Amino acid sequence: MTMFRLTICALLALMLFATVGVAADLTDSLKLGKADMKSVGVLTFGPDGVLFAGDSMGGQIFAIDTQDRTASTATAVEVMGLTGKIAAMLGTTADQIAVNDIAVNPASKKTYVSVSRGIGVNAAPVIVRIDTTGKLEALSLDNVKYASVVLPNPVNASTGGRGGNARLQAITDLAFVDNRVFVAGLSNEEFSSTLRAIPFPFSSVDKGTNVEIWHGSHNQFETNSPIRTFLPYKVNGEQTILASYTCTPLVKVPVASLKAGSKVMGTTIAEFGAGNTPLDMIAYSKGGKNFILMSNTSRGVMKFSADGLETFSPITKQVPDKAGVPYETIATLTNIMQMDQFDSQRAVVLDRTGDLRTVALP
Amino acid sequence: MMLSVLARGVLAACLLLFIQSPAVRFDSARNLFLLENWTGAGQLPADRYRDIFQISVDAPDVPAMLGQYRVEGGALVFAPQFPVQPGVKYRAVARIPGSTPITALIDIPKAVVKPTTVVERIYPSTNVLPENQLKFYIHFSAPMARGFGYEHIVLRDQDGAVVEVPFLELTEELWDPEGRRFTLFFDPGRIKRGLVSQQQLGISLQEGRRYTLSIDKGWKDAQGNPLLADFQKVFTVGPADRQPIDLRAWTVREPAAGTRNPVTLVFPEPLDHAILQRDLDVMDASGAVVNGGVTIGPEEKSWVFTPDVAWKQGPHTIRLGTAIADLAGNMINRPFEIDVFDKIDEDLLHSKYVFPFTVK
Repeated sequence: MTMFRLTICALLALMLFATVGVAADLTDSLKLGKADMKSVGVLTFGPDGVLFAGDSMGGQIFAIDTQDRTASTATAVEVMGLTGKIAAMLGTTADQIAVNDIAVNPASKKTYVSVSRGIGVNAAPVIVRIDTTGKLEALSLDNVKYASVVLPNPVNASTGGRGGNARLQAITDLAFVDNRVFVAGLSNEEFSSTLRAIPFPFSSVDKGTNVEIWHGSHNQFETNSPIRTFLPYKVNGEQTILASYTCTPLVKVPVASLKAGSKVMGTTIAEFGAGNTPLDMIAYSKGGKNFILMSNTSRGVMKFSADGLETFSPITKQVPDKAGVPYETIATLTNIMQMDQFDSQRAVVLDRTGDLRTVALP
Repeated sequence: MMLSVLARGVLAACLLLFIQSPAVRFDSARNLFLLENWTGAGQLPADRYRDIFQISVDAPDVPAMLGQYRVEGGALVFAPQFPVQPGVKYRAVARIPGSTPITALIDIPKAVVKPTTVVERIYPSTNVLPENQLKFYIHFSAPMARGFGYEHIVLRDQDGAVVEVPFLELTEELWDPEGRRFTLFFDPGRIKRGLVSQQQLGISLQEGRRYTLSIDKGWKDAQGNPLLADFQKVFTVGPADRQPIDLRAWTVREPAAGTRNPVTLVFPEPLDHAILQRDLDVMDASGAVVNGGVTIGPEEKSWVFTPDVAWKQGPHTIRLGTAIADLAGNMINRPFEIDVFDKIDEDLLHSKYVFPFTVK
């Protein structure tokens, strides 16, 4: 009887793990080979150590198995002069590289940095991984499990793209939500808002759909505009995209409304002032309350409450300076170029002097 | 005589010793760092290569350079992952067990190159722009460096005063794939009505005034060389254009059958140069694509299509893409900003337009 029970238990356990193994691992669809990136910019982590990376020059999104799944309880990382160290590792100087983005693996707490080695269009893409002791290593792209999807960029049928297609889309942000990769981009030609939702695993037939998000405005005009950065966030239990724009900082859009070919109206819930472009957003909880931290080009790092975002009325008329969701500027966080969440209490920041460090979430 | 022979022998022995001493050098033709004349290289396990021969940029507290080691012709060879950078000094250190470390500093000279790259042109080419002008395209004669653009661009009004933060400055920068065309958007927050940016800073361009867009020659090309010369575009500003593109105002110059004369679309206002080049197609009566080449007419007020083979008689259409826009970003039947009291039907936003013409 005991033996029978044990066998049943073992079978049940086997079935459970088998189910989990098949259904839950994001790396299953990835194939071993050379991830032929033309450039590497925006980074974000999905589950199972999968790193999503935007390749603006190649017009592609990559999913890479970093094989970096070992959980870490580390609470800090610090690399002074990171930019110079990465440059040296690549055999050059800091003025000859560009650090494009950082992303922290939520399990291992290792920081991944996307870098361009060189200053011309032929700059080489490199991903550098930094462990919590500050050790740097390059992530090999030559022999990794990966998948990629090419973003559509149609050319004139009459010329067949003779002379090349000059249109490129700078991929400005990426997120993995409910088995879809959301991609925000900014074209070098038309000025429009496109948020692309691509099903994952990537497929050659379904490259996702573009959703045009408009926001009701300010005075009496509806407009659309490129999304600069966005954050998937549940507002009152509803999966939402909080999108920051090049002109109007915060708009919320329910993910359920993002259907192909439709004109989606986002709700403007905050304006954070002039002469500023948002860079990164992270969400966290502290003292039982929820907050969002947003870094900016010229207005420092802002913190605002993420509780009750549904209660703010849409901004529908001109406001004198800032309006909607109130915020505070964090005086201790200045000159932040890149930011990502490290753990529930900390963020990793890279400042303009090239120093990487963890900071307590305010 | 005896002394001389002895001296020669000593010299030869020293020379032999010198030749056979381990030495470090850089082979510039092959982009390789070599540790030569060390007999131990062949017996060294691969995981020890890095301990024995270390190559880095010559700077304090920096990690070793990325690259691959191998033993080749008895020498321990390091092939850096990337070519060495002119103007950078490298440090190669060989730490052979039982010997004093050998350090070589390798200076890669920077070639002095005469600047040759210039700004070739800026679109729009017209010198009268609407108050809500959306963007400029700056075309260079050679590929440029990325990441430094905005610091070399300045907009001044007719009094010489600098217009503060008129442009959208994006860390990504917006280049074409060749790195020869830079897209410079005006800050949309100062163009769109009702936004905080416009209220605080005002509109960037004011009707009736003259402005100068200056590109300074400090902007480096992809080779790291400055431009040959500064560049300026002087323009005056007219009223804001908030009207959608109206196809009824367009005309077509039809070609004759049996010729390769172009078909020309003429518009009453300049349109976006880049989008005109890629967002129109020509179809014959059967709906088949007609292959050919496109040029854009003076002041971007016409689109000229020359077919690869002679026209066949009959009806044709020019298929217009949805991205076609004027200088202020207004599109066909769709203004840049939509007045909510004058709602535009959603279907209209995704409509495709065609412009018919006949080849006689």
